[in-house]
Amino acid sequence: MSDNNMVAVMRLLQFTDSAFPVGTFSFSNGLETASFESIVTDASSLEAFARAQAHQAATSDGVAALHAYRAYLKGEYEAIQDIDRYLIMFKMNAEARMMIKRMGKKLAELGVRLFDAPLISQWLKDIKEDKVPGTYPVAQGLIFAAAGIGEKELFCSHQYGVVNMVLGAALRCVKVSHYDTQLILEKIANEVSDLYDKVAQMDLKDMNAFYPELDILASLHEKGNMRMFMN
Amino acid sequence: MIEQKKEKTLAPEVDFSNAKEMAPYLEEPKAMYVGAPGKHGYLRLGFELDSTGKSILRDLDRRHPLIVQQELYFDEGMPEMPCVYILSSGGPNVDGDRYRQDITVKKDAFAWVSTGAATKLAEMRYNYSGLIQNIVLEDNAYLEFMPEPMIPCRHTRFISDTRLCVAETATVFYSEIFMGGRKYYKEGELFQYDILSVCSHGERPDGTQLFREKFVIDPTVEHPRNLGVMGHFDVFANVLVVTPKDMADVIYDKTNVFIDKKLAAGITRLPNDAGLLYKVLGMEPGPVKKMVRDFCSTVRQVVKGKPVPPEFPWR
Repeated sequence: MSDNNMVAVMRLLQFTDSAFPVGTFSFSNGLETASFESIVTDASSLEAFARAQAHQAATSDGVAALHAYRAYLKGEYEAIQDIDRYLIMFKMNAEARMMIKRMGKKLAELGVRLFDAPLISQWLKDIKEDKVPGTYPVAQGLIFAAAGIGEKELFCSHQYGVVNMVLGAALRCVKVSHYDTQLILEKIANEVSDLYDKVAQMDLKDMNAFYPELDILASLHEKGNMRMFMN
Repeated sequence: MIEQKKEKTLAPEVDFSNAKEMAPYLEEPKAMYVGAPGKHGYLRLGFELDSTGKSILRDLDRRHPLIVQQELYFDEGMPEMPCVYILSSGGPNVDGDRYRQDITVKKDAFAWVSTGAATKLAEMRYNYSGLIQNIVLEDNAYLEFMPEPMIPCRHTRFISDTRLCVAETATVFYSEIFMGGRKYYKEGELFQYDILSVCSHGERPDGTQLFREKFVIDPTVEHPRNLGVMGHFDVFANVLVVTPKDMADVIYDKTNVFIDKKLAAGITRLPNDAGLLYKVLGMEPGPVKKMVRDFCSTVRQVVKGKPVPPEFPWR
């Protein structure tokens, strides 16, 4: 491994770590409700739930992250704005919009401190002025491009983030052990390259998601009074 | 009395050449070719107020196999509302069919549009069936679009693209119900279709984009039975309500959400304060249709101050 690659791996670990301060621990992606409604009760149902979340994110957030990454490398700022707006238009769930906007802004704020990157500074300025929504997947794309990390690594980090968010929440609201959650992570990791091959070819207009059960669970959380997690 | 306009225009192209998910299904059907007479349906419905303030079906054009009945005023909750059934004289949507439906509701007018029976999407071997819809609502217009369910058969390939262009003061209730398949045919035929690709997007008359929902269901990629997709449920309903924010807030508060063994319903707010999205999952079409109808009644109460009457017993 070259020295440059070593730096890139360090940064990949930094941005993917659940301790990276963008607030992932505050969200459960509907798991809190799924557990309450006895839809997720054990390791196998948790695995199915985490996989559904990962697939749903891949064909929407994942597409946006990859496009933002490519746009950053080409220096196309208007394209970045368009991707950001497009993703919000596609996010049907109100709490999910809140989550990706909150985390996106935090990541952009970190980005301007970590890198001397005019595109990220401009983007953060536009977020603060309400000109763009400032979504987390777009922020990930920009930060990874600025840090010199590869596109596949970005996709892995995005997928790891989604699955780890669910599994981290599971330890607090589902009867599973650390062994269970690590085994699930290991299994889902095996599927990431096939998913990347599919997502890497998708245009923005190809974004799609069909997870009505997850949508209904999210809606129950949105209307309900469960508040250990913000979604 | 104002005569109904019947201006014939060329049936517009129904083009899905950009849809990657349909790329495996582009072979020319061996029977009638794509675009042949009877396979390229077109419907144009225009509702507006006449000089006395009555909402009427003023504009109508159609190409077979799509036909509509004369507008009737049978809704007891809103007897002033024209109600139109869309029918297909060809029976099911078959291999290589392309349909286009344009519905315009002009300023202050209102209408109800449904289908006469469930839309069967037949088994397909070479190509696919496609539907493009353009639904335009001018200021203060109101439309309830509540068709009967779609029933995809084994190896069905279906794609639709629906554009809802809605003025800021108008309201559209746009519902779709998808069966998992012919549940009681032979030993049961559920989720044996090849692909359903359904896209609905909203915009303002000035072109401002509001939301875009797209689902591509390919049971070989992500099976609908998976947890988080449809789980153990067989029927899925999707309802978009584009309406002003103050109306959406009231409808949102009045709508119950729940999940139990036989039925589940959820509601959320669309992006850009465009309105609401309501989803229902169930085991049989009857209870799901009732949920959609009851939700429509909530919408109509809030927007028009009138309820939707109970469904006819034969529907």
